[in-house]
Amino acid sequence: MEKDPSNPTTGTKRSWEGIPLHSNLSTLQSSTATSNMGESSPNMLSMFGSFCDELDSHHDRRERLIKISRDITALSKKIIFSLQRVRTSGTPIPASITKDTQPRLTQINELFLSAIPDITSLNGYRYLRQISPGIQEFIEALSFKHYLETQSLITLSEVKTHLPPQILITEEDYMMGLFDLTGELMRFAVTSLSAGSHTDSISEEGNGENEGEPRLPTLLPAQAGVVRDLREIRAEFESITIPRRGNMLRDYWKKSEVMQASVEKVERAAYGILVRGSERPKGWKPDLSAGVEMEIY
Amino acid sequence: MIDRAIFEDLQSKIDEEVAVRDELHEIVQTLARKGRSTQATLSRAHSTPAEQLNPVLEAATKEILAQKEEVSRLRSIADKHPFYKYNGVWSRELQNLISSIELCAWLGGLQEYKSSSSASFLTMEEVGRFLDIPVNLKEEDAFHLTLEEYLLALISMVEELARLAVNSVTLGDYERPTQIGNFIKDLFSGFQLLNLKNDILRKRSDGIKYSVKKVEDVVYDLSLRNLIPKGKGV
Repeated sequence: MEKDPSNPTTGTKRSWEGIPLHSNLSTLQSSTATSNMGESSPNMLSMFGSFCDELDSHHDRRERLIKISRDITALSKKIIFSLQRVRTSGTPIPASITKDTQPRLTQINELFLSAIPDITSLNGYRYLRQISPGIQEFIEALSFKHYLETQSLITLSEVKTHLPPQILITEEDYMMGLFDLTGELMRFAVTSLSAGSHTDSISEEGNGENEGEPRLPTLLPAQAGVVRDLREIRAEFESITIPRRGNMLRDYWKKSEVMQASVEKVERAAYGILVRGSERPKGWKPDLSAGVEMEIY
Repeated sequence: MIDRAIFEDLQSKIDEEVAVRDELHEIVQTLARKGRSTQATLSRAHSTPAEQLNPVLEAATKEILAQKEEVSRLRSIADKHPFYKYNGVWSRELQNLISSIELCAWLGGLQEYKSSSSASFLTMEEVGRFLDIPVNLKEEDAFHLTLEEYLLALISMVEELARLAVNSVTLGDYERPTQIGNFIKDLFSGFQLLNLKNDILRKRSDGIKYSVKKVEDVVYDLSLRNLIPKGKGV
């Protein structure tokens, strides 16, 4: 019984002297195989035949959903990319950018509609893992757009209004989408910090210890808003209690770290603008991306 | 402006889910504990000659029936929630139970649940009838036994039978390895009909051929030495 396990059913059987035992074996196999065929094999084969159809349709469904999810992810990424060209928050998205995003949102909606037959009732949770990545990316795009327009977080029920009602949106997907949103807000904040100029007036926020010295530079209110919101999102996420066992929210811990890094990056960028920004000549733009990266890693 | 209510809602949803998981988990742990004792009983088959097997099978049946009660408890809770959301909590233990049931049936137990006395295993429907749970639901979102779980249980049973083939010979039973060989080759040819993708079912069913080989080696050793009883098996 010490034969090469890599090729078990076709391996050459040998006697203890090493003489191949081909003929001997094949007659043995065929005789044992045929002896029982008449009795149980047809049953077994027909049983497995029906299993086969079922597994095939399961795999087909699975693959269709993976493809839909990928397409949604790609479109959502393109929407996010366009939205990153926006420079201000709290105002409607400029028409030049909605021209890009609107058709993509329509396409995404069509993709979701095409997924519905495969995720009805029981199958909603069954194929959640396959379609989740697309949903999360879409929520990321949606929440980013929502933030740019309103400077607030989109709620789960608001997300649901942007999707066909048959699509299952879990709290988990929503949370993961919000985590990803912090990454986009980081990029948005860093670019707008480096592009926008700071003012010498004190913003409403103020800096507790600096209040006596009105000449110190502060961030523009909109910039300060992003920094403050990011910090708040981080604080809220960190206050959530999640058990570390089981399979609940398995991406939570990784995403949480990424989010913390993003928030820190923005805090660093804001600090850099405030402290060193005043020493720079008007119109000079700091190379934030590189500088910030270095300080974090 | 960040609305704190968003995160409070999330926290309460998470807490709800944790509570459901804890409740299911508690039942599954009981099921697992009983399952280990079923398996311990069944593993006595490896050291018990076939003709003295009845007390072992009776004891195993009793323990399987005790597990069945846990399955009913599980079902009553799980039925309140989306099936596939929590399926992972119990799937493994349910498979172990079904593999015990199948092994017990193959050894000659659970006769009254088989389609015929000559049948060597229970079909998925028969397992469902025995455990009093639906099987392979397609539309209704309720507790049931899935096809994958049933197939995975059969694979575990095959692995156990391959071990039994070796141990039967040690017990002086030269007939059983041939029966085992025929049965698992039959199952193997069934599994070969399936188009498996790169998933757990594929990984596990790839192992069947090693079991087949293990048993074939035993049968081969016996037949080479003319040890297989004439007129039986081969």
